[in-house]
Amino acid sequence: MKMKLRIAGIKPIYISLGMFFLLVAVFTIGDRTFISLYNAQTILNAVAILLAVGLGQVCVILTGGIDLSVGSIMSLVSVVFMLVIGQLGAWAYPVVMVLGLGAGFLNGLIVSKLRIPSFIATLGTQGILISVAYLLSASPLSVPENSYGLVDIINGSIGPVKNVWIIGLVLFAGFFAMQAYTRLGRGIMYIGANERMSYLSGLDIDRIRILAFTFSGFGAAVAGIILSATLYSGYPSIGGTYVLNSIAVVVVGGTAMTGGAGGVLNTLIGSLIMGILNNGMTVIGIDVYAQQVFLGVLIIVAVAVTFDRRKLAIIK
Amino acid sequence: MGETILELKRAKKAFPGVTALDGVDFRVERNEILGLVGENGAGKSTLMKILIGLQTVDEGEYFLRGERAALDGPSAAIRKGIGMVFQEGCMIPNLSVMDNLFLGNEDSFGRGPLMPVKAMAQAARGELEAVGLGRLNPKSTVGDISSAEKQMLEIARLLWLSRLYGVDNPILILDEPTTVLQESEVERLFSILGALKARASIVFISHRLEEVVQLSDRIVVLKDGRLMADLGRGQADVKAIERLMVGHELAVEHYRESMQTDCGSEVVLCVKELRLGGRFEDFSMDLHRGEIVSLVGLMGSGKEEVCRCLGGSEVPDSGSIAVHGKPARFASPKNAIDAGIGIVPIDRRNDGLATSLDVMSNINLLILDRMRSGPFLKPALEKASARRWVEECLIKTPSLQTSCSTLSGGNQQKVVIAKWLAAEAAILVLDHPTRGIDVGAKDEIYRRIRALAAAGLSIIIMCDTLEEDIGLSNRMIVMKDGRIVREIPCPKDAKPAPVAVIGYIV
Repeated sequence: MKMKLRIAGIKPIYISLGMFFLLVAVFTIGDRTFISLYNAQTILNAVAILLAVGLGQVCVILTGGIDLSVGSIMSLVSVVFMLVIGQLGAWAYPVVMVLGLGAGFLNGLIVSKLRIPSFIATLGTQGILISVAYLLSASPLSVPENSYGLVDIINGSIGPVKNVWIIGLVLFAGFFAMQAYTRLGRGIMYIGANERMSYLSGLDIDRIRILAFTFSGFGAAVAGIILSATLYSGYPSIGGTYVLNSIAVVVVGGTAMTGGAGGVLNTLIGSLIMGILNNGMTVIGIDVYAQQVFLGVLIIVAVAVTFDRRKLAIIK
Repeated sequence: MGETILELKRAKKAFPGVTALDGVDFRVERNEILGLVGENGAGKSTLMKILIGLQTVDEGEYFLRGERAALDGPSAAIRKGIGMVFQEGCMIPNLSVMDNLFLGNEDSFGRGPLMPVKAMAQAARGELEAVGLGRLNPKSTVGDISSAEKQMLEIARLLWLSRLYGVDNPILILDEPTTVLQESEVERLFSILGALKARASIVFISHRLEEVVQLSDRIVVLKDGRLMADLGRGQADVKAIERLMVGHELAVEHYRESMQTDCGSEVVLCVKELRLGGRFEDFSMDLHRGEIVSLVGLMGSGKEEVCRCLGGSEVPDSGSIAVHGKPARFASPKNAIDAGIGIVPIDRRNDGLATSLDVMSNINLLILDRMRSGPFLKPALEKASARRWVEECLIKTPSLQTSCSTLSGGNQQKVVIAKWLAAEAAILVLDHPTRGIDVGAKDEIYRRIRALAAAGLSIIIMCDTLEEDIGLSNRMIVMKDGRIVREIPCPKDAKPAPVAVIGYIV
């Protein structure tokens, strides 16, 4: 039986915004400490990481693809970050960012030049990258004695404003400008909306796709840096949950998995929702094991209400 | 007269903007071969879709074997003993011949957990023999067999199904079966169809009128959704049928002929001896500034492929293309676009537009490069450009941010044209520009085409009907079986009659 769950005439982004306010209200009623300043800070710290990896993921999803390797990129970045920061000092930052860019670029090359579906290509590279991380160090690495100052650039704050929020905002602004005001951003939308038309209109589809994956690798690298800095540690399983989380923030924000609809702003809202949900469920005392049920339901409902499935002849 | 087993009475079917069938009475008799002819857009395919239950009539009645039929899809039609044989067969290429033959009905060989492969192969051999495929291995993969074999296999499948469902005298509809066949295969098909007549009725659709006359016991001519004639064997020759197909003479001023301008002398596009193996060969033409040239031919004539080569989406094997005197090599659509050629595709929803995106994004797709300062696009420039073209092309849209999926077909088409005009294409290839567009919007498209030609754009056009080709173009190039067979000038005061042209096409 086919159900028409899509709420007619309402843009997915407004549904997501509604969901955001609803969650805030529910959790506040559930426990007043949810709205406390300290808890808000905790939420925003988590949102910054979700946002970084989600902003990358949305670039790929807008083209109609998917990047399953973001978690592995985060893990590898965290391990390498801890390995090199002792010797390289501040240079460790650009080095691991280039590592993320390179991994994303490789994904893009495999998808566009070998013409392998992104699901399979990134399933392959996520295995390769995580292996490399384990080969470099199977056991957790911590920040070398001499480098705490450097790592705390991430953990510091300017007045009441945490640096990670600034990083998140800057990243958001950059991705937003890319999506809204550059030809690449438009190109991503064009090929996601109609790849064949884009080809017939002379767009360089391979280039656009490779760049989308490269941006995804970059977002994952930034997320990996923030995560390992806040934990003062790097290890191969650190990014494990972020593949699903990155997809979740994208779809919960209302971006269509088929590509061509949604975007960076949606992902910001999706990140806030996921951050609030993860935190709020713990605050109001929902069993940790039961939390997954709510997350799962939310993702399915989000896709059901935001994504126009009538166009799909076959659901794979 | 034989017994009527299928009857459609006063069938009407309308789509937005077009009346596909306008009160057609249609019948099929027992044990006959019925030829069905008509131009593109005459209503043949709609009629067939109604017969096999893919569509239902808006008005009128449908009787099968004396009973009112309400079919809700091809499988219901097959159960009632009526099925369609598609040109290339409609089968699963990576399965075997026998898997396809019995697809979905394996249960009739027993309901055990394992399929009785041996029994199936045995049965398949018998079925294949009945349609002259005795030498075909039932286990060979369908993807590897020839088009002729696929057609026969599909016929065998329909015959087998009709027996399975206990239907006497099934009706087989064959849509253009001969276009994909070699001459010897056509002979064989005809002899098999002749033999099948003893236990089935056959509806034979073809543009090849000689074949229709040769094979059919009766011929039905459709034109503009109306039944023009119902002729017994020997009642009409090819010439007479042609006249019935094109109908009355061209109405005056139907295609804005008075706005037609003479073309300039400058050759904008020069194509020499273009060849694409198996599709077309020796294709040469000059296109002048401001000229409208119409490519005319049936499906399989090669005109579609010529246009794909001009648009860069297919690469010719040999020959040369020069634009404004400069030799060009089109390896991809981008090369063609850079040379100034724009394609307005027949399938505008899939090939021409990003329907989920807004009007502005679609119009500006090709010219985003001109709207930058540094790396960033300037929204003000984008808006100004989109607004200009919306006004210029009379696109009716609530706003620039309206998603193209909500626009009418005519307005979508105008968006596609606007996209190329914005990019200042010097040559436009219009692939059936008025398909699926209602009459009023058609006229606007005609006027736009005239205005573009008058402004110096050169246009290659392929139309839905011969009248439209003749009416719109300065010159027609007629293609048949991959070659140019005729060039026919169409000046505004001396348009040739369709009857005089159709003979070259079919």
